[in-house]
Amino acid sequence: MNTIEEKLWNYIDGACTPAEQDAIARLIEQDEAYSKKYQELLQLNLEFTAMELDEPSMAFTYNVMETIRAENARQPLKATIDKRIIIGIAIFFVFTILALLVFAFANTHFQPASFDVNIKLPAAIKLPNAASIFTSPVFKWFIVFDVVLALFLSDSYLRRKKTTKQA
Amino acid sequence: MQSKLSDIDLIEQTLAGNQSAYADLVKRHQRFVFTLALRFSKNREDAEEIAQDCFIKAYRALTSYGGQSKFSTWLYTIVYNTAMTFLRKKRIATDSIDDEATFIQVENHESAYDTDNVENKSRSFYLNQAITQLLPDDAIIITLFYKGEQSLEEIAQTLGMEANTVKVKLFRARQRLKDKLERNLKHEVKELI
Repeated sequence: MNTIEEKLWNYIDGACTPAEQDAIARLIEQDEAYSKKYQELLQLNLEFTAMELDEPSMAFTYNVMETIRAENARQPLKATIDKRIIIGIAIFFVFTILALLVFAFANTHFQPASFDVNIKLPAAIKLPNAASIFTSPVFKWFIVFDVVLALFLSDSYLRRKKTTKQA
Repeated sequence: MQSKLSDIDLIEQTLAGNQSAYADLVKRHQRFVFTLALRFSKNREDAEEIAQDCFIKAYRALTSYGGQSKFSTWLYTIVYNTAMTFLRKKRIATDSIDDEATFIQVENHESAYDTDNVENKSRSFYLNQAITQLLPDDAIIITLFYKGEQSLEEIAQTLGMEANTVKVKLFRARQRLKDKLERNLKHEVKELI
């Protein structure tokens, strides 16, 4: 059952049917209680409508746009590299590895008695001496570079993880 | 010239790569979004953080805005969800509407430096004071209805409720606001006497 106030608010908001509107308008004209309440609610409605909005700080828009700009600046590496290129590179490596494996297995003669693996390489391919590879300065620099790169990548990964957690 | 562009025009320009169009969109809606955020957080710093977060989220999701509803309705949905998440994170007690301790604290805080110029206070001051004492949901519905140019259906869409539920909630929110307003005014009159 609607209270007087509920009916009057619906009337003020224009949320009642034409028949209800006529009935309430008549009640406001004839009934003093309705008329008094209507004036009171009308006054409140005016005050609510005149309610002021709060103002954020002066730098609000600037801060929003700066965050967006910073995000966009970080994005290009991810966004501009076409995924097809990455997939192409991956396919190339997978095929190379597969071809190498197939070649290796095709030219391998297992000798179960001694477990010796004897790979026959074509005459044109000469493998370098393994011992000299691991002791060469180039290899050492390569390892140092790898370690530094691994540290750098793990640091940036942990930083990103931390900022995501904080956000 | 630029200010005459509609929200949709500005969105299209933003999507075409014009960031200043989005800045215009932010300027256009920032006061309302900030006010909504303030209704939830009751704290300017937090409200600013929520409001900024909303605009950034809206920017990221701009491509998914299909234009089926008004941009403002879509944006207010983001504000509502972001603010709710923020409240959950901050664990702000939302059941403080009848918390007398909080009420007294608010009253004392206001009256401590405002008793001298009671006559100068406009009704809008008391109205804002009363709104801050409402539950966030009540304050949001009243703000959306009166200042957001939102119909009951649009508010229902923003809050994820039925239009009828919003109608009932709006009625109750107005009742509570009226009570708070009268209570605050009575208190000020008593202080004067």
